[in-house]
Amino acid sequence: MNSHDDVTCRRLILEYLVEYEDGTMASEDRVRLEQHFACCPPCLVFLKSYRATGRTLKMLKPREIPKNLADAVIRFVRARCDKK
Amino acid sequence: MVEDQNAADLALVRRIKRGDEEAFREMVDRYHARVYSLSYGVLRNAEDAEEATQDSFLTLHRKIESFDESKRFFSWFYRVALNQAYSRARRRKPVVTVPIDDYVPRLGSDGHNASPEFSAWVDGVEDEAIARDLAERAEGFMAELPESYRDVIWMVDVEEMKPSDVAETLDISIPALKSRLHRARLHVRQRLTEVTTLPSATEQRAAP
Repeated sequence: MNSHDDVTCRRLILEYLVEYEDGTMASEDRVRLEQHFACCPPCLVFLKSYRATGRTLKMLKPREIPKNLADAVIRFVRARCDKK
Repeated sequence: MVEDQNAADLALVRRIKRGDEEAFREMVDRYHARVYSLSYGVLRNAEDAEEATQDSFLTLHRKIESFDESKRFFSWFYRVALNQAYSRARRRKPVVTVPIDDYVPRLGSDGHNASPEFSAWVDGVEDEAIARDLAERAEGFMAELPESYRDVIWMVDVEEMKPSDVAETLDISIPALKSRLHRARLHVRQRLTEVTTLPSATEQRAAP
């Protein structure tokens, strides 16, 4: 992040958010982003919804694995390999 | 720990190459749930995902000889699984995807977030039933993404695989992975916001 430019919403959302969220952003940049969130309610709403998206996707797991799938796989492979 | 996992995988691979059926069984036990889940991410149908899982293990059985043991097994096998799922998906019906840029948030020309979006659904995520409904919708929105984006968001955000493992499986750099992940999340976020924004909320926003 260059020191001379303001953190615009566009840059924050498109360029910085992913590293802010995965914890790889330098601490001085984090501080600048947090200052921006403190004075930009729309971006704060955006951050919350971005995080909520991640939490929502995690709900898709654990997916139910069909019963006896491992046995079905073994039977399937044996049947195909015995034909050879 | 990842290296321990790979060492255990390689030990099984070598036994399978020698024709040890018990080792193949152990490999199925070890990987069938993950392969099923990856397949489901592509196909979104239990029956198709089950068949794709069977095909993946058949390919493993037939092609294990060609696996290069200097590579990590899981990334090779996950690529096999994704290829099986996508070839099945292509046989089934054409997939309608949206251009990824359509769902990057709308911003003013000065780069500022001109219109705060009404994101009431965010509070709903705290409620189990609403969150489940949102998750089902999100699954559909992920399916709209081009493959290269969908794979990334499915593996990182749903499967919770380590980003470095996903990058290795897909053979892309970490920055490329982050970029795709971010844009895919922006897409799903935007669609969740659109679909849950009530008309009354839109009117309120438009009012002076």
